Amino acid sequence: MDETALLRGYLAVGAILFGLGLVGFLSRRNMIVMFLSAEMMLQAISVSLVAWGRFHNNWGGQILTIFILTVAACEAAIALALVLTLYRRSGKLDIVVWQNLRESSLPAYVDHEIPEELEADEKHWPKLTPAGVEPQHSERDEYHRTHV
Amino acid sequence: MNWLTDKLGSLGAPGAWIVSHGPQATLLLATVLGGLGMWLMLPRGNAGGRRLGALLAALAGVVYGSQLVPVGSDEWFSEAVFLILAAVTVISAACTITFRNPVYSAIWFALTLLGTAALFLFQGAQFLALATVVVYAGAILVTFLFVLMLANPKGHAYYDRVSWEAFLSATAGAVMVGILSITLMKAFTTSPDAPKLQPPSAEALEKDILNTEHVAHLGAHLFSEYLIAIEVAGTLLLVALVAAVSIVGLDESSRRAERAHDFHG
Repeated sequence: MDETALLRGYLAVGAILFGLGLVGFLSRRNMIVMFLSAEMMLQAISVSLVAWGRFHNNWGGQILTIFILTVAACEAAIALALVLTLYRRSGKLDIVVWQNLRESSLPAYVDHEIPEELEADEKHWPKLTPAGVEPQHSERDEYHRTHV
Repeated sequence: MNWLTDKLGSLGAPGAWIVSHGPQATLLLATVLGGLGMWLMLPRGNAGGRRLGALLAALAGVVYGSQLVPVGSDEWFSEAVFLILAAVTVISAACTITFRNPVYSAIWFALTLLGTAALFLFQGAQFLALATVVVYAGAILVTFLFVLMLANPKGHAYYDRVSWEAFLSATAGAVMVGILSITLMKAFTTSPDAPKLQPPSAEALEKDILNTEHVAHLGAHLFSEYLIAIEVAGTLLLVALVAAVSIVGLDESSRRAERAHDFHG
């Protein structure tokens, strides 16, 4: 694969990853998934940087990526501490709980409670075909069974 | 292809633009399809259409990928490897943001990280590939998984089943990717008066980035040219550590004060 095609492919992958991370960060409400999306955007930038570094035969791209890795680790530590604190206070990972931090001129987000999930993943137990003759039940056994 | 060109030509100005900007128009189409697919796949309550969204997104990926790699070149093997790695990375990234269960999201994100690590390795960045796996997948992600497992309610929480403004955010992402890819295509289509991108020569690469003593060279650059930056990064790590401890500790001490107040008052 020649160098120009390689650079183009890597830049395209970086662009798509960045776009996906953007969509995730904007749309998801779970704080941890939001942070995963932010990390995804950092990965996208790293991919582009490494590709440019190779294209210009320069170590700067890889070294900047190492610094991105460092900053990502710091960010993850602080983010985790914040998420834990917020989780302890509200009992939820939902970001909407903290919407009081918005600008005062913005309208509040009204949460529409949606109906519980349809029973799509309800467990289906296997049905056993009855075999043989049903045994005689004695009164005593039945009595015990209801009282165990 | 001729009848398509004729049909597009009869559309007037937009048709003429599409004919004259073939690859860019194709990429734009792929981006629109992908944005639509992502919108359908994002959690939107009990609304359906996730399968259709996945189908659209996959179609978009195929169209996009077909524009990236010249078909029928003699280096088909390395191109196939690159395409597979890119597909793994992008598909798992899409799964990360569309899965409702955050634990699955985190696991798909681990696959994204492995994909990018493999992409780094494909570029010859050995140290970075290893560091990504160890630091990201090994440390950061596992910590997040711990928090998820501590905090995850039974079943899918309702905030995992609805999104903020799924359509608007999918549009934002599509616009972003569209602008980037059109710029990319423009930069790489060779017009006679454009400044040409000069690819590196194989000998130069062999001497620098693709050297067999890659890690030694990287370390030498890191600790000579970028020495101050390394020191600053170390300080940053320390500051972040202190900050994380103090954020959690502040909450803890305020709770303790509250409890003491309840007890005495």
